[in-house]
Amino acid sequence: MRGTARRLPGPTGLTGPALAVAAAGLLVAAVAPAAYAEESAAPAGPPYGAPAGRPAGSLELHPAMVMAGAQVTVNTAACGEGDTVAGDATAVGAGRFILAPGSDEPDSTGRFRVPPGAQPGTYEITATCEAGGQRVTGDLVVSLTPAAQQVHPRGSVKTGVGGALGPDPVQTAAGVAALAVAAAGGTWLLHRRARGDGF
Amino acid sequence: MHHIRRRSSRVGSPSNTVIVSVSVFALCCGLWLLGNGAATNAPPQPSTAQAYSAPDGRGSGRPSEQAVALPPSPPDRIRVPAIGVDAPLTGLGLTGTGSLDVPPPERTNLAGWYEAGTTPGETGTAVVAGHVDNAEGPAVFYSLGALRKGDTVEVGRRDGGTAVFTVHAVEVYDARDFPDEKVYGAAKRPELRIITCGGGYSRTTGYRGNVVVYAHLTDSR
Repeated sequence: MRGTARRLPGPTGLTGPALAVAAAGLLVAAVAPAAYAEESAAPAGPPYGAPAGRPAGSLELHPAMVMAGAQVTVNTAACGEGDTVAGDATAVGAGRFILAPGSDEPDSTGRFRVPPGAQPGTYEITATCEAGGQRVTGDLVVSLTPAAQQVHPRGSVKTGVGGALGPDPVQTAAGVAALAVAAAGGTWLLHRRARGDGF
Repeated sequence: MHHIRRRSSRVGSPSNTVIVSVSVFALCCGLWLLGNGAATNAPPQPSTAQAYSAPDGRGSGRPSEQAVALPPSPPDRIRVPAIGVDAPLTGLGLTGTGSLDVPPPERTNLAGWYEAGTTPGETGTAVVAGHVDNAEGPAVFYSLGALRKGDTVEVGRRDGGTAVFTVHAVEVYDARDFPDEKVYGAAKRPELRIITCGGGYSRTTGYRGNVVVYAHLTDSR
């Protein structure tokens, strides 16, 4: 989209806002045919519009939750048809891999194997379209055991030491002050009685 | 002299009734403040009305209130509007004894989720834990025990979505008699457990157990 806008001849007499409106209009006009073109034939450049009905811009991992040592299949529709996609699973220690374009669909598919020594955790897997330059990511969760045989935690959880307990110094001080007032009042009354001022 | 004093007591001093009233009021306030200041900093605990109502201890939510399970995605945030919680989530593992590990206590606004388990929104039992307090004072889940049935819990996910859970029970357990299967066991629908310390406090052994909030997925966005 930016490439299209840059190729426009620079209209020298237009003011800033007018230029922006004109550019927006031209962009809409330019993107719409590109999106249609993608459905029929191989486009000259990478398509910018997402194919209808598919979430572009995401990297799908199957399965997204695996044990160490398992193979993961990676899918993305974010890149143009025919574009080579470079996958990066170095975060989980599986190195780089290539996503090959599918035979009859816009998806590119690749595989990598999670190293047997991978630690449980969440890892970000990325893929970059070589021609288009888009970068998409997906999360891979490595667990110790398969989902069907998950290890459940046992027992209670140590989530506190009692630091919130104990006397509140402000309330305690206010309480002492209030009791002092009450004592003073009582003393005053006793004095009056002793003087014979009467109750 | 005596005459003057008498007059001053009538004109310049408050009446006995006023002094008695003020003194009694101050006495009551003082006693209440001292009692309150010493005792009520304990975190709120759930009442028995918030306990499980289903006889089987599971699936008490009406079927119409359930939402379709979401694909797995790690969570990154938990929000509990009813008690003002909005905290990031960190991954948790297990300790050497098999109990759930906890987030670093010095970070008071940080909760954790059991990373090797179910992700919140997915079918199964996802587990979130956070501190009720640390050595300095209250922490992220201090008010967890004040939650009631029907309150909502939102979990922000790394896929950009939000899983919305509705509380169906809040219970408190003694650590010596912790119902592992009920709290951590597998579920047939997307469920969430939120755990913090509670159940009374002893100076020698600390908190006696845990408050556990049971919730199930009711919406997503």
